[in-house]
Amino acid sequence: MKKSLRLSAAVALAATASLTLASCGFGGGGSGGDDASGTTLDLLVPSYSDNTQGLWEDVIAGFEEENPDIKVNLEVQSWDNLESVITTKIQGGEAPDIYNGGPFAGFASDGLLYAAEEVTSPETFSDFQDSFIANAEVDGTAFALPLIASARALFVNNALLEQAGVAAPPTTWDELLDAATKVSALGGGVAGYGMPLGSEEAQAEAAVWLWGGGGTFGDADAITVDDPSNLPGAEQIKKMIDAGATQADAGSTDRSPLMDIFVQGKIGMQVGLPPTVGQIEENNPELDYSIVPIPTQDGSPFTLGVMDQLMAFQNDGDKQDAITKFFDYYYSADVYVPWVQAEGFLPVTKSGAEELSDEEALAPFLEVLPDAQFYPSTNPKWQATDGAFKALFGQLQTKPAQEVLTEIQAQVDAS
Amino acid sequence: MAVTAPAFETIAPPAASARRRRYTEDQVPVGRLLLRMLAGLIVLVVFILPYTIMFFGSVKTKAQIRSVDPTYFPTEWHWENYVNMWSTPETPLVQNLISTIVISVFATLLVLAVALPAAYYTARFRFPGRMVFLFLVIVTQMLQPAVLTSGLFRQFVAFGIIDTWAAMILVNAAFNLSFAVWIMHSFFAGVPKEVDEAAQIDGAGRLTVLFRINLPLVWPGIVTAIVFTFVACWNEFAASLVILSTAGNQPLSVALTKFVGQYETSWHYVFGVSIVAIIPVVVLFMIIEKRLVGGLTAGSVK
Amino acid sequence: MSTTIDTSSTRAGAAEGRPRPDGPSVRQRKPGGRDLVAALPWVAPAVLLIFAIVLFPAGFMFYNSTRDISISGLDQGSVGFDNYVEVFTFPYFWPIFLRTIVWVVAVVGVTVVISLGLAQILNKAFPGRRIVRLAVIIPWAASVVMTTMVVYYGLEPYFGIINTFLVDVGLIQTPEGYGWTRNPETAFAWSIVIAIFVSLPFTTYTILAGLQTVPADVLEAAKMDGAGPARTYFGVVLPQLRGALSVAVLINIINVFNSLPILKIMTGSIPGYDADTIMTMIFKYIQNQHKVDVASALSVVAFLIVIVIVAVYVKVVKPMREV
Repeated sequence: MKKSLRLSAAVALAATASLTLASCGFGGGGSGGDDASGTTLDLLVPSYSDNTQGLWEDVIAGFEEENPDIKVNLEVQSWDNLESVITTKIQGGEAPDIYNGGPFAGFASDGLLYAAEEVTSPETFSDFQDSFIANAEVDGTAFALPLIASARALFVNNALLEQAGVAAPPTTWDELLDAATKVSALGGGVAGYGMPLGSEEAQAEAAVWLWGGGGTFGDADAITVDDPSNLPGAEQIKKMIDAGATQADAGSTDRSPLMDIFVQGKIGMQVGLPPTVGQIEENNPELDYSIVPIPTQDGSPFTLGVMDQLMAFQNDGDKQDAITKFFDYYYSADVYVPWVQAEGFLPVTKSGAEELSDEEALAPFLEVLPDAQFYPSTNPKWQATDGAFKALFGQLQTKPAQEVLTEIQAQVDAS
Repeated sequence: MAVTAPAFETIAPPAASARRRRYTEDQVPVGRLLLRMLAGLIVLVVFILPYTIMFFGSVKTKAQIRSVDPTYFPTEWHWENYVNMWSTPETPLVQNLISTIVISVFATLLVLAVALPAAYYTARFRFPGRMVFLFLVIVTQMLQPAVLTSGLFRQFVAFGIIDTWAAMILVNAAFNLSFAVWIMHSFFAGVPKEVDEAAQIDGAGRLTVLFRINLPLVWPGIVTAIVFTFVACWNEFAASLVILSTAGNQPLSVALTKFVGQYETSWHYVFGVSIVAIIPVVVLFMIIEKRLVGGLTAGSVK
Repeated sequence: MSTTIDTSSTRAGAAEGRPRPDGPSVRQRKPGGRDLVAALPWVAPAVLLIFAIVLFPAGFMFYNSTRDISISGLDQGSVGFDNYVEVFTFPYFWPIFLRTIVWVVAVVGVTVVISLGLAQILNKAFPGRRIVRLAVIIPWAASVVMTTMVVYYGLEPYFGIINTFLVDVGLIQTPEGYGWTRNPETAFAWSIVIAIFVSLPFTTYTILAGLQTVPADVLEAAKMDGAGPARTYFGVVLPQLRGALSVAVLINIINVFNSLPILKIMTGSIPGYDADTIMTMIFKYIQNQHKVDVASALSVVAFLIVIVIVAVYVKVVKPMREV
């Protein structure tokens, strides 16, 4: 007995030793909470590019210099992991103070967010462009701060179109189908139109086609995917696929790898967004391409606008001032404009838009922005809709259009 | 039982000469030897192939990796990737490596400290609840990590050690305990109790019996358990992702995801870091391999 | 010390009770409270660690499976067994269940067969054996995620080196390659290949260790009796490997059943539920549909399924007889 006690003591000692070592000796930095000297803000953001971490670090360094009593902890996650991290944190009662993400209406309807006006000075708030603020409103109150915007446009490989004998970039679906079929016929692995319906960003390609045919995903009150107005777009996608006008396996091709192929000149046309310009610049500057408005059923102008937001979570209540200071600092033109510029997106503030108005790379996108339609992101069910499109929309390749729309609607309704 | 095997015979004196005898026994015709080498070569190629692709990717540029005209071998060798990856803006890789090492080493030690006595005792003695204990241990392996993380997160917030190495050491230790217990248990069970009895008659205490008599006999089992635990901790991802939020605290498995952007991924770094992450484990194995199979070989020949 | 070892009897004996010269008589005594007290110092740290770390999250999973959790993660009260109803009424549940079984059986089965052969090769003496043994370890040392990523990357149309190779040797006619990871059937098949590949090191090494326990004199005796290599292997070697194999298979069943990253990466871009297993479905509930509650319910179901599989396996194969 005595001996076994000695052993247990030894084991316990070894165990506690390694634990104490771990917790005292080299425990990591504590999270959240206020330390003696002031307030700590937790900032959780996704990674847009390999610049993201550095850009935020610069912002934080500048902010902390101006506000020595506030400390900002930065956490950058990949888009893949962002949402599971935020959900876990909220479930654990440790929501970050500031969060950069897409869907926000779910958080707002759960009463987790500060209203935008509660955490910005009137000057900062009034600097946001009205159309963007409107897309951050739930029941008339803005619960998120627009961060960046993007508009889509059709990237066209001029050389391939010329080779295929297509005189001008298409503006209608019929022209697009015709042009894409001709380019595909060139052979050698060349595809006419790059159609990414894979899970990565299926909702975007869906919007491009369904809305381009007069369809809609719904509004703040109701999600209406299973709507007759969406059928023409869905049928047109099938037509494109069946005609061999797209790359193989359109239903399960993700956006990013497909864009890499376009950049390298193997695809005739694909819908891209502002950062695509930088990608081409970096990886294949010789590419002869142009950026034109997205073709629609009848040729009327349209683009898909996407806006990402910053939101502030109500933790403990005593951080409101610190958050306000941070946002006011961040959205000042000197800080915000270089940030947006480096990430290659469109600015959401009036002052930012003014400063970047003569930016050549952004011009084609700023041009189409007035015709932009946005996701119904103010509907609390938008997040579920987004997920349903990602999981199911690519089935268009093999299933009837109506069936796919019904299935998406059913999954949204069940959420 | 594989893992249990050897202990019994290792005490027999001729063990040392065993290896030599095997090789003399294996005086096989040259033709058959060549055949074996050919088989070995095929195995070698198959097992190394994916990692060769990975390695080639790690010395390409970002653009070359995503080239639509892939070449079997890199056309230029960008060794500077292996220098630059330590100082990227995305993640503090040196700290990530240190984190991975600290977490894995301490978790493995903790597992050993806790599992060894339990494995020894359950193999040697009967007590009420012994089977319940062994069952409880294996059940921890059947739970889904993806769903457990939210509970773990909550728990460590309550413990006040969220975002610390200590939390991850505990998580890794607790979830890898079962394997270690089971492996070592079966090894201890392979040591005949007469060995213990003889020692106890000589007046040795139970601790002495464990550390002086049993341990040397079950060394291969302990080594197997160490490798298992270490490898599992080294590659753990799901819990680290939510528990460790400070970039410098995160292990390599989480750091890798930082190279994945919204529209572009720095594949050359992802592959480079993966190669670097494999090396310590392979080195550990090189050191240990002789003990693992060598020890077993020694025991096998009578 | 005898030359042949009756392993089962020594092991049974070893677990009987306190070592006493009159071993067999101990068999009659039932272990009681005093034994439990004596055992505590030895097993309590392990029990403590498990209870301290695993109990709460596991319990939380069961608890969450009966709650209504909002999309942002807030608990909105109890819903009884509604989440379980949702799991079982999901139209694709049974195909997914069957695919999970196929996945486990195919991966574990093929792994064992290949491992038996591999272990034979690695057990034979030849120059360079040490290098080959080290190479076999690498898939174990490398993270499963990265091994899968590299294969995924190799299989991509346009970029992938495996596709390029298949085009170069003329097996594929389209110049950009075939979309292996874009079609549910091929993506699932490749996932099985990868899962086998990463399961081989552990299984092979376990069998390799087991091979060392086959007593040389038994082999010699078989040879004297005129048994050919095949008969020796199936009649003498394989039965000796039973213990090693049965534990390896048990561990593989649990690990393969719970494996997520391979299928998640290989089938991730494919729409619909035609390549999903229970594990990827749990992942989709969390990641795609943000239903932590339903995911928890499915996890509980998965947990029960593994327990049943393991129980049946243990009953039939008795891998832990000695324990």
